[in-house]
Amino acid sequence: MPQSAEKVLDHAKLFHEPEYQEMLARKRDTFECPASAEAVEAQREYTKTWGYREKNLAREAAVINPAKACQPLGAVFAAAGFEKTMSFVHGSQGCVAYYRSHLSRHFKEPASAVSSSMTEDAAVFGGLNNMIDGLANTYSLYEPKMIAVSTTCMAEVIGDDLKSFIQNAKKKGSVPEEYDVPFAHTPAFVGSHVDGYDNMIKGVLDHFWAGKERKAGDTINIIPGFDGFCVGNNREYKRILDLMGVKYTLIQDASDQFDTPSDGHFRMYSGGTTLADTEAALNAKATVSLQAWCTRKTLDYIGETGQETASFHYPLGVAATDELLMKISALAGVAIPEQLTLERGRLIDAMADSQAYLHGKKYAIFGDPDFVQAMARFVMETGGEPTHCLATNGTKAWEEEMRTLLASSPFGGDAKVWGGKDLWALRSLMLTEPVDFLIGSSYGKYLERDTGTPLIRLTFPIFDRHHHHRFPLVGYQGGLRLLTTILDKVFDKLDRDSEVPAKTDISFDLTR
Amino acid sequence: MLKDKVKALFDEPACGVNQAKSEKDRKAGCSKPLTPGAAAGGCAFDGAKIALQPVTDAAHLIHGPLACEGNSWDNRGSGSSGSDLWRRSFTTDLTELDIVTGQGEKKLYRGIREIAQRFAPAAVFVYSTCVTALIGDDIDAVCKHASAKYGLPVIPVNGAGFVGSKNLGNKIAGQALLDHVIGTVEPDDVGPTDIVILGEFNLAGEFWQVKPLFDRLGIRVRACVPGDARYAEIAGAHTARATMVVCSTALVGLARQMTERWGIPYFEGSFYGVLDTSESLRQVARLLVARGAPDDLIARTEALVTEEESRVAARLDPYREKLAGKRVLLNTGGVKSWSVVAALMEIGMEIVGTSVKKSTPEDRERIKILMREDPHMFESMAPRDLYKMLADGEADIMLSGGRTQFIALKAKTPWLDINQERVHPYAGYDGMVELVKQIDLALHNPMWAQVRAPAPWDEDGNLIETVVALAAATSPSPLQGEVKESAVEAAQPDDSFAARHRKKFSESRVENSDPEYLARHRKKFAKTDADDMGEC
Repeated sequence: MPQSAEKVLDHAKLFHEPEYQEMLARKRDTFECPASAEAVEAQREYTKTWGYREKNLAREAAVINPAKACQPLGAVFAAAGFEKTMSFVHGSQGCVAYYRSHLSRHFKEPASAVSSSMTEDAAVFGGLNNMIDGLANTYSLYEPKMIAVSTTCMAEVIGDDLKSFIQNAKKKGSVPEEYDVPFAHTPAFVGSHVDGYDNMIKGVLDHFWAGKERKAGDTINIIPGFDGFCVGNNREYKRILDLMGVKYTLIQDASDQFDTPSDGHFRMYSGGTTLADTEAALNAKATVSLQAWCTRKTLDYIGETGQETASFHYPLGVAATDELLMKISALAGVAIPEQLTLERGRLIDAMADSQAYLHGKKYAIFGDPDFVQAMARFVMETGGEPTHCLATNGTKAWEEEMRTLLASSPFGGDAKVWGGKDLWALRSLMLTEPVDFLIGSSYGKYLERDTGTPLIRLTFPIFDRHHHHRFPLVGYQGGLRLLTTILDKVFDKLDRDSEVPAKTDISFDLTR
Repeated sequence: MLKDKVKALFDEPACGVNQAKSEKDRKAGCSKPLTPGAAAGGCAFDGAKIALQPVTDAAHLIHGPLACEGNSWDNRGSGSSGSDLWRRSFTTDLTELDIVTGQGEKKLYRGIREIAQRFAPAAVFVYSTCVTALIGDDIDAVCKHASAKYGLPVIPVNGAGFVGSKNLGNKIAGQALLDHVIGTVEPDDVGPTDIVILGEFNLAGEFWQVKPLFDRLGIRVRACVPGDARYAEIAGAHTARATMVVCSTALVGLARQMTERWGIPYFEGSFYGVLDTSESLRQVARLLVARGAPDDLIARTEALVTEEESRVAARLDPYREKLAGKRVLLNTGGVKSWSVVAALMEIGMEIVGTSVKKSTPEDRERIKILMREDPHMFESMAPRDLYKMLADGEADIMLSGGRTQFIALKAKTPWLDINQERVHPYAGYDGMVELVKQIDLALHNPMWAQVRAPAPWDEDGNLIETVVALAAATSPSPLQGEVKESAVEAAQPDDSFAARHRKKFSESRVENSDPEYLARHRKKFAKTDADDMGEC
């Protein structure tokens, strides 16, 4: 055998060894009744045709490779952005394990959340006892300052009522009467993680604000939205707001929770919006959402309190950042500092330096609605064409907004918007109408492999590359990172296409 | 001794400018005097190296401290269809101890030995540098000895940096070829249609767009120096029947001496622009026929030219609408200015300025004929003036070399590299289409709108009232609005303007094909100096 104690082969190499290759082939031939290589190849070729694309896009029943997660994931992420808050997901515990691993694999950090561990008897008799025991255990085991309750499908299907359950639990003494237990119903069969985020933020605000009188002040609330790059981005938002001298409260800030230092201390909780600030946020002058599709209900709710609200779509690139800064400047009555104007000029300078390499490039973009919208806009700023814009959790309203955006630039003329479509549909789109680059999450790597289109990882989840989320993408500074990430891929491709000695290396240039 | 050599190189009977000078001026040499304290171009070493470096199957060994080679390693985009040995970085990497103890020659000898044994190159070019020239290393002797010992040509190139400008380095390189290379190999397949092309660098592989034209005419390019050249081809170059000097006076001395020594006639031509490419093909055919090639070559050349010209015109058509009326500033130091001007005007672009720093009075007259209204000629323009012109929005795009790119970018003007660092081939008929395509791309990048627009707030960072209203609405942004506007303009050009332009220049094309005009036009390329070596 190729494996030996002296020289242990990693699995990436080991199974390429002839022994394994032979074994796998034998297994295939003996037990799997395989189709002939020609038949497999013919089928593969068939999936590249327009005929298959039409069938693929007409598909109604099965969803294949959806680019979205479920509501409770968004709720757990949202809760992680508040001071010493433990997520408590009412329902079956396997779901919670998924949210934790999902967040952990992306951020390379521990992600804590607990479940009420409902079982079959709970499904039959209701999950009240699980709530009562669960809250008591969470309270005593993990000593959170707040427990944020959301739900899995199981609890939603049997119709457990969180509000009364939590009241009952408090009466039974699970947690003190005055203890903070905000909640949100987050059925996975409705919407996606961006809605779960929305519901949880609304639940937290409602918990602190309900029944209170608003005394309008002069601070501004900022809600970042579901953002896998929150570590870098939230810190950039704060830097910009500090530079502008704005009084603000970031509502939901998971940047420290998902970026704790290795210094010998395990921090189950780190950073986040304080409960006091969350409560006081009622008195803010206005609330600005940085991802409109993540905060539809929340902003409606905040609007009802009498605050002014504004929303953006993830401020990537020059024009989008301009709009955000101007809105904040107008709301807070402060000037935009020279520092930011300089940063703006530098980003534009960088874009001008590299424009020839980006002009006319075609992209397929997938991800959450706000991200796709922002990315399409940035791509068009650089002279690229966002040929396929796909959001599995994109709604009809999103599609409409996207079309307006695309119509505003000649570079969006040929672009198409695909709300509700999955990545298997994107595969057909990319095989029939090829693009130069694919922008999305790690899940795009299968498309990269099948279509040969280089993948640029710029949105959650990024499982197979490390630390991208530590750098901001938003604002002018983030724009540089965004630009560089795209350019790196462009140049890597140029190099790869010109690296065969004496054959294609004529353009293997040192200077580009 | 060095002084005599340099003097001889500068006494160039084939150079019109040189001959027009007084005896005294000629002594001063033809390169621009070096100005201590002012920003300057490369040195003689750099000039010598770039002129020979594209010889692909040779090893280029730089004898000196590391940085001479370290800073210039692989900095040119010549294309090779074979060996990549020329891109390897070979240097003797002299240290302080080597210099103090005089180990330079030994180190050089060992360096040549190692290269000969490990890489078996077709030849080794050895370049001296300031340090090794100053300490008196006799590289001629070392090369001679090593050549005999290892049985391969080892050619000394005595162009230390302090000798003079980059252009002088080019001449020194040409002289080295003449002294040590050309005529050392006798090819066994000499034919009546063999030619040599001098001063063609095959940047971005562009000569490969031209060579098929010669192939179709049955003309064999015996050697193209230095782009994609093999050592043996250059060594047998003396058997060619005609020489074409592309762009650079740097090697015109070489061409003249090849005429004197082997009786090979030469002419100066260019592959930039449609008319120039056609005219160069015709000239080659004429020279060859005059020396005994079959007469039908001329007719076949005409047929090829006609076919290619109509094909290129058809391929340029789609750009006429998009580019008509766009204003171009050419700042490229003479060479490409005029060969490209005619073609850009042909598709309706407006030339708002071009550098004429190397043009003679007759040339200026021709410029006036070509441009009719408002010939905007300028001598070499100071960066400050260039910046002002661009910042004032007097041009839509600047075509230049990399040195002035940042002036354009900081002045918020699109820019296209048409010099040595470019990555697109612009030579020949296809090259013209490529150039126009690249201009189109550069001009219509949407980010220029953002580059040009000021930050949408005032200088103190306070919001401007009109913008506040716009900012309140989420989309489209004011910037996007602008992009859209300019695009609409591009999609629906002012027909009357384009038409006016075409009319305006419709006659100049007739004049451009006037042989007398072209003959003088050709002369313009003879005025190239140091900065343009390898940039054409």
